[in-house]
Amino acid sequence: MIEVDNISKHFGRVQAVRDVDFSAPDGRITGLLGPNGAGKSTTLRIISTVLKPDAGAVRVDGSDVRINGEAARLKLGVLPHASGLYPRLTAVENIRYYGELNGLSGTALRQRIAELVALLEIQEFADRPAKGFSQGQRIKVALARALVHRPKNLVLDEPTNGLDVMATRALRAIIKRLRDAGHCVLFSSHVMQEVAQLCDDIVIIARGRIVAHGTPDEIRRQTGETDLEEAFVKAVGETGAAA
Amino acid sequence: MMRKLWIVLRKEVIDNLRDRRTLLTVLVFGPLFGPIFYVAIMNVSVNQQIANLNQPLKLPVQGAQYAPNLVDFLKQHNTEIVPAPANPQQAVKAGTADVVLIIPREYAAAFRAGKPAVLQLVMDQSKQSAQKSVGRARELLRAYDQEISALRLLVRGVDPRAVTPLAIENLDVSTPQARAGMLLAFIPYFFLFAAIIGAFYLAIDATAGERERGSLEPLLTTAVSRSTLIGGKLAAVTLFSAVSLGLDVVALSWSQGLIPAAKLNIVVNFGWHTALAVFLVMLPFCLLMAALLTVVASFTRSYKEAQTWLSFILILPMIPVFALFLFPAEPRLWMMLVPALSQDVLATALMKGAALGGGFVSVSVVSTLVIGLLLAWFATWLYRREKLLG
Repeated sequence: MIEVDNISKHFGRVQAVRDVDFSAPDGRITGLLGPNGAGKSTTLRIISTVLKPDAGAVRVDGSDVRINGEAARLKLGVLPHASGLYPRLTAVENIRYYGELNGLSGTALRQRIAELVALLEIQEFADRPAKGFSQGQRIKVALARALVHRPKNLVLDEPTNGLDVMATRALRAIIKRLRDAGHCVLFSSHVMQEVAQLCDDIVIIARGRIVAHGTPDEIRRQTGETDLEEAFVKAVGETGAAA
Repeated sequence: MMRKLWIVLRKEVIDNLRDRRTLLTVLVFGPLFGPIFYVAIMNVSVNQQIANLNQPLKLPVQGAQYAPNLVDFLKQHNTEIVPAPANPQQAVKAGTADVVLIIPREYAAAFRAGKPAVLQLVMDQSKQSAQKSVGRARELLRAYDQEISALRLLVRGVDPRAVTPLAIENLDVSTPQARAGMLLAFIPYFFLFAAIIGAFYLAIDATAGERERGSLEPLLTTAVSRSTLIGGKLAAVTLFSAVSLGLDVVALSWSQGLIPAAKLNIVVNFGWHTALAVFLVMLPFCLLMAALLTVVASFTRSYKEAQTWLSFILILPMIPVFALFLFPAEPRLWMMLVPALSQDVLATALMKGAALGGGFVSVSVVSTLVIGLLLAWFATWLYRREKLLG
């Protein structure tokens, strides 16, 4: 469960996020939807403790990210915008490093890595250096790395970016499986169809503010549109932001 | 905390050992640049010095027929008289002759009349390599001059000692080690260089490189504190620096055997004990440099930019080395407060066989460590800031 409590953040004179307030419950997929530059990544970076909010608070399973960052991070798996693998380390070594940093070791770690390698179908390139990986392979390894310490909560920043159709479908299946296993999944996207297909809850964000929040049906009802894309355009348009 | 620091350290070491450039720099270029350079230079210069002293002085003489006695004197004193070039000035200027002796036609007449007989030495003061020949020629002419004046005084019934009120003897009190120390003067630069170059690429890779690859942000989302992360990185950089330095010290110690020191009648004090002592007094410098390079690289936005800035730091240790070379000074305690200078002074003293007191060593170690730890703390502070992500 990720609770975002009225956070604001500015960079210089730009107000990136203003009074963003929502929560992503366990066992549900929450989509953070918005045009480019709306504040999605900033919100996710504050949740993953990379940035500090100017005001407001974030709690991950009750741990405040500002007061107890390490405890919050332990309950959090993060797939950042750039996969950020170490090119000279193999897939398994990349995963193992994060497992160790998150407190795993020995047989438990080995078993967990084998599990993830099988789950995400990494076998074929498990022992190759990450240097030559395709975007799809990189995302898989980065996801395995985010999952290695069995975090209850997952934060994915535009995970399907640059993936082909098959890889996207595979990733969606994995996300649904994680949801069904009781995880809290929060992911950002600027692709309407993806969010509509996958999400149980949608948070629409534009110009750093939340402009609509609810299940897909609720959003359709709020905006008076039957088509979710129209609803999105209407919601975003209300603040005057260009999508 | 220590366990996670160790995990970060180990990962950085394994990761960077797979980078061929880093590996070559730490294991080959850094440690071997000094010794190879040193052995080559020393062999050439030592052999040249010995050759110059034993070989007869080749002296082109113009007008030898006007002073047969002088020419005989020169021949008796290990000089080979060769015919002078047609234009002595031009020949010396062009470098085909180091020095030319011109005996004017009037020499014999002036000599017989007891007036000062003019001799001309053509030389080029700006040509360093010729000064040895010039000095030898001048020394020989002075000796002949004294011999003649003594003879003239004796003919007149005067004791020649009356006109030599002074008898100057040169007593060289430098120990063989100290004379060798002059030859060893520039070795500390190789140590400092090896320590820096060993840390160079890892410091960039662990900071600017990590950010450029996009791997810093996910790293910050693991359940590790930022100070532990930077601590592990600093430890890895320090380790690489120390490995490079250690190999350099070993290589230089070993390469002393390749230098014909005995031919110069000097004793080089660079056995295993000295090598170990030098390594230990230099070690705090590794931490200092690791922290300094890490701090500077953390400010840069890319690998390339970091390389540019860090190249300037490579020059820094040259400053004290050259300062000591140009203005030789006795070791003073304040010098121990200046990193690079203090290691230079300590290493030089150890190699001269004149180890400085424990006070010097502890001031150097403590002050360098304190500055290093302050820089390390600064690096940690940098990693707590958001701007780090650029």
